[in-house]
Order: sequence, then C-alpha cells, then structure tokens
Amino acid sequence: MFISKWKEALICLKAGRVTLPYPFVPRPTAEGFRGQPEVDGRRCIGCGECATVCPPRLITLVDDGDSRALKVDYSRCTYCARCADVCPEKAIRLGNNYELATSQKEDLTMTVNLKMANCSLCGKPFAPERLLRKTGEKLTGGEFGQEAPEWLSWCPECRKTKQAKALGGVEAKDHV
Amino acid sequence: MTREELTRKLTEHLGKALPAMSTAGNMLLVKIKAEDLPTLAGYVFNQLGARLITTVGTDRTPLTGNYEVSYLFSFDRADLFLSLKVEIDPANPVIESVTPVIPGADWAEREVRDLIGVVPKNHPDPRRLVLADDWPEELYPLRKDFPYDYKPPQATVAGPRMKKAPEQATVMTVGPFFPTLEEPAYFRLFVEGERIVGSDYRGFYSHRGIEKLADTVLDYNKITFLAERICGICGFVHSCCYCQAVEAAAEIEVPARAKYIRTIMLELERLHSHLLWLGLAGHIIGFDTVLMQSWRIREQLMWLTEQITGNRKTYGMNLVGGVRRDIPEKLQPKIKEVLAKVESESRQVVEAIAGDTTLLMRLQNVGYLSAADARSFCVVGPTARASGVDIDSRRDHPYAAYPDLQFTVPVYNEGDTWARTLVRLDELFVSIDLVRQALGRLPGGPIMAENTEVPPEREGLAVVEAPRGECCHYVLTGTDRPERWRVRASTYPQLQAAPSMFANQTVADAPIIIGSIDPCFSCTERMETVDVESGKLRVYTREELLKAGRAGCKGGDSRA
Ligand code: SF4
Ligand code: SF4
Repeated sequence: MFISKWKEALICLKAGRVTLPYPFVPRPTAEGFRGQPEVDGRRCIGCGECATVCPPRLITLVDDGDSRALKVDYSRCTYCARCADVCPEKAIRLGNNYELATSQKEDLTMTVNLKMANCSLCGKPFAPERLLRKTGEKLTGGEFGQEAPEWLSWCPECRKTKQAKALGGVEAKDHV
Repeated sequence: MTREELTRKLTEHLGKALPAMSTAGNMLLVKIKAEDLPTLAGYVFNQLGARLITTVGTDRTPLTGNYEVSYLFSFDRADLFLSLKVEIDPANPVIESVTPVIPGADWAEREVRDLIGVVPKNHPDPRRLVLADDWPEELYPLRKDFPYDYKPPQATVAGPRMKKAPEQATVMTVGPFFPTLEEPAYFRLFVEGERIVGSDYRGFYSHRGIEKLADTVLDYNKITFLAERICGICGFVHSCCYCQAVEAAAEIEVPARAKYIRTIMLELERLHSHLLWLGLAGHIIGFDTVLMQSWRIREQLMWLTEQITGNRKTYGMNLVGGVRRDIPEKLQPKIKEVLAKVESESRQVVEAIAGDTTLLMRLQNVGYLSAADARSFCVVGPTARASGVDIDSRRDHPYAAYPDLQFTVPVYNEGDTWARTLVRLDELFVSIDLVRQALGRLPGGPIMAENTEVPPEREGLAVVEAPRGECCHYVLTGTDRPERWRVRASTYPQLQAAPSMFANQTVADAPIIIGSIDPCFSCTERMETVDVESGKLRVYTREELLKAGRAGCKGGDSRA
C-alpha cells in the first residue's frame, strides 16, 4: 500500500509540470496540420469541385445574374481537406488556424465572388469567366495564339439547340 | 465450422431445404421464412454457439415490395458470418421476436420496430428505444418514402415510458447529464438502502439520423468522414470499418501499404483510448493522480497522431479503397521514440497502481458480469474478455494487416471491474508491440486502390476491434450511395448487460460500473431525433435478485 503510494508520488514528481502556457503563448501546430481551410479568391475559378466532395456540404455555389458566389460556412467544417485535395487550381489549402471560436456567426463565413461570362449566342450569363478561360487553356494546351473552340462561349441550352439542329438536319436528310 | 457444414446443419435442423442462399466474402446469406426464424436463430445461438452481432432492417419496397430484416451472427473462431434474412410483407409487418431466446437481440429488434416499423411479436420490452416519446406513432424514419428532412409535428405524450420501481425501493437517477458521463444517458437506479435492486435506462438522446442521411443525400466517400465523427475517441475505427464494409461489398483490393497504415492508426487509437479510459476510471473513483498521469502519457500520442495525420483526433485518413496520407520514412523514428516513452511510463503507472489496496478495494468484486450473461447479451471487447469470453475480431475475423502480425489476446475470468481494468492495461502493451511490428514490416507501394467503383445491390459486412470491443458496419450498396448503412457500435451490446452488472451493488459503485464498460453513448445512438424519457434494459425483481445474490451474485437471468 505505502510502497505504491510512494511510487505514485515519484511518478508525479518526476513528470513535473507539463501544462503549456496556452493561450498566452500560442501552441505550435505540426507540419501538415489541417486547420481552417483558406480559399485564395484570386485563384478560384468557380468550378465547384470542392462543393461536390465536401462531406458536411458547407461549400455552396450561388449564381445570381452576372456573378457566382462560392460560399463557405466554416462553422460546420470538419477539416478533412477533401476540398484542398480536389481543387484543380490549388486555390484551397488547410492553414494553421484552429482558434475559430467566436460570438459572431458571420465571422465563420467567407464568400468568393466571380464574374460570369455571357453566352455569345443568347447573351445569358452562364459560367464564370475564369472557368471558361481555364477550360480554353486546357483544350488548346495553353499554346499562345491558339483559339479556344467557339462552342466554349455558348451556354448549355444554346449548345443543346445547336446540337439538336445539327442532328435534326442529318435525320431530315436520312428521311428523304 | 465451414460454410458447407453450416449449410448442412441448418438444413438438417430445419428438416427441409433452405429457400435461398448466397455468399458475400466470408458471409453466408440465407433467406428464410419468417416462421422459421425463432427456431433457426435459437439453434444457431444456443447449439452452434454463434454470437448475435446485430439486426439490420431495410425497406426494400421500391425493389421487392417487402421489408427485410437480417439477423447477423458471427462464428468467431471460424471467421464466418451468417445472415438470416426474413422478408416481411408491408401489409402485416410483424415478426416473432427472438429476444426470449437471445437476450442480446433486445435493442436491435426494438430499433427495427422504431425505424422501419417491423413489430417484434412477444418482445419482453415493447417500449420505444430510439425514437423520442413525442415522435408520432406509425411514422418510421428509415422507410424509403420518408423524406430525410421531414420534421413531423410533435405528438402529445401520454407520459414518460419508464419502468415502475419495485415497491419500497427509492429511485436514484444518474443522468441524463452527469458529471462523470460526458454524454447524455439516463440511468434510473432502484435502491433499497445502499443496494441497487433494479435499474432502468433511457438513452438515444444523441440519435441524429446519420443512416438516413447516408442513404438519401451523401455519397460513398462523404460517409467515411461522417462515420469518423460517430465517435470522438475511436473515430478511426468507424471510418475504417465503414470503408472495409464497402470494400468487402464491392470486392475492392486495398493495397498492402494502406492496410498496414490502417493497422498502425487503429492501434495508436487504442493506446490513446485505453489511457483515456484509465484516467477517467481513476477520476470516477476520486483517484486523480491516475487521471493526471495517464492523460499526461496519452498526450504524447495525441501530438504524434497530429504529426502523422494532421490532427490529434479525427484523423481523416480513410477513403473507400485505401488511405489518403502516407506515413513518411522520416516520421518513423519519432513514432518509435514516442512508443518507447509511452511504454516505459505506462509500465511505471501500472506497477504503482497494481499494488494500491485502495484502488483494488474499489474495483475488485464490483460490477460482476458472469460469462453466461456476457454471452447471452452478446457483449464484446474488454468487457467480454474480462468475463472469460475469448473473442477479439483482430484475431477471429482478421482484417487490415492483422493476419501478418503476432499478438496475444488477454483474457480474465473474474468478470469484475478490476478484470476489465487489467484487460485494458495488458492491451496497452500488446498495441505498442503491434505498432512496432507493423512499422517494421511496412510494405512499399501505393496507398489507394486503382479501381474503387462500387456496383449496386451487393452486401458487405465488416467488423473492427475498437478499444471498447467489436464495432460493426453493414452496407447494402446502391447507386452512388448505399441503399442501407447500418452501424453497430461496441457499447450497444455492453449497455444491455449493465443491469446485470448493477445487480446487488452499492449505489456508490454505480458510476464506476458504468465507467468500467468504457461507454460511448453517442456511438451507440447515431442517427436521428432527440428524446424525452423511457427505454430500459431489464428490471430485476426482488426474488430474482435474492436468488442471484445467493448464487454468488451471478445475475439470475430468467430469460437465458
Ligand atoms: S476541409 Fe472538409 S469539411 Fe472543411 S470545407 Fe474542406 S471539404 Fe468541407
Ligand atoms: S475547387 Fe477550387 S477552383 Fe473549384 S470552386 Fe473550389 S476553390 Fe474554386
């Protein structure tokens, strides 16, 4: 009995004080830490990949007239980094911030606004300009002077009508 | 027992051919007639010695027009699972209860009734288990025609569905919020003087409808992260078990390196969990030195997992088909260094407290659970192994890298709180050794399967030995997402055995008895809604208890 009490006391004495002076001194994070996701608004092209994989579905794309908003609600983030994994533009990384507590819910939201491009046929805004530019670059291999295909500037509906017309033409001929 | 032997025995017992049979991995799926269920289930459990894992209720009306209820059994030493599946006509959704034969089926059958609406006839405790008492009657949230975001109007409650205390007994409540329980749980202890003569339990306050969310809104990989958040302590177990269930269903070949990384993380998680438990157990009985020291030792593991995974908990490592982060070469010396420190420091603590008579007096002969009760309530993990039931899914149903590793399974026969402590203390050192072995043999190669496609209409069952015992995930695949995902956490069976452990104990020991099963209430509850009161385990009558007391406090289960 007494022996074990001695042993216990010794363990405590040997360990000494182990608590950190947090929050007066910040607690460093490990390399590769998954803290608050940081979205770089200058790189984001509004493709929505991050919104598709986010498990708590806290990233949403809202199209309003000639702008698309990428909205992030950090209050439900699970710091899984799936968004960062899939972002084709490396516009998201998980930073070192883990102190998100706040009394203002608005502090936990973030919005990226992207300008939409208008359809060259009907004039309706249909996709972010940056997304189209990036897609164009990908299609042409980013070669200088290479023109992006014409259909890239058509909205999905116009593309469909065009396609239907083209097909319709073929069919009509077949019937003759 | 092999699959063929089992099929032969079932056919012989039934006296006629089994209607339909198929296999999925190491699971034998047998479709049976509803009227044959009690006899077959009883035969499998009592004569063939299988253990009931859980039941799964599925609404298959869009496809077959029926409901289905599967009773999942495990033949532990044979690495064989058996699913007895019954189809039920929605016009008459009634099934004969097997709880009178298998006490451990109690909650699982009530859950199927609450969520799917298949009523277990002659169930000894027909009260609600999962749904809140103010949830409307005849509204079953896991049915396919129930929208996941529907909020029904509150029903008027006739009164809380609590068990009446025996006459002369005083009711003492522990919970729904109680200092030593971090999660809501409501125990009502019936006491005479200082003795507990019966008990009642109401839980499922943390039920949040995740299974519904999974089969309506999420996709296969999103569920991995939701699964991880089922538990704040053994979250990796859940994400791993879920992935393994999908991988089993889809026959996805997980690369060896990913399997080893999963094993390493599983064992690191067990280490931190057991040290956390030891501290809490110390705290419950007022021995805070143990709390401080074991949590100090544990903290090193938390820093280590932060370095490996990017966070001290909720590692976010798993995806269907493998893991997302590698364990780089440069981290391995660090892991070994932390293991060495944790090992020597834990040894010192274990040696010191092993001779502490105050501690022994609080834990020995307290909260006794007989081997017979452990088996009939189908308990798992350290709680089972402390009552002489030698089961461990790492050895019995080897998964991840466990088939390649050598380890012992500590088993004690005393069945008391001290035995449950010893099992966990021994397991600390087994886990440290397992991480070392896995690191030593860590194979090279990719960490994610190439093809992770999941075909529809396949069933997959996976078990993972969580720190608290076997955790089970079942998946029936659908298009883009599971058609059904069922989670059975390890505390689910243990809580059903709690009344047996309370029997004839003093009130002062109740918190440590609850603590000794290392309960994880939110894990157990998952899913949907919040609750008022009701639900129970079983109440001992005075006579039963007196008899039990005379029989050396062995529970006295009249149903067993
Ligand atoms: S870290 Fe995970 S939860 Fe958070 S925004 Fe990214 S994908 Fe969503
Ligand atoms: S994936 Fe990247 S580029 Fe696409 S919307 Fe999200 S942040 Fe923007």
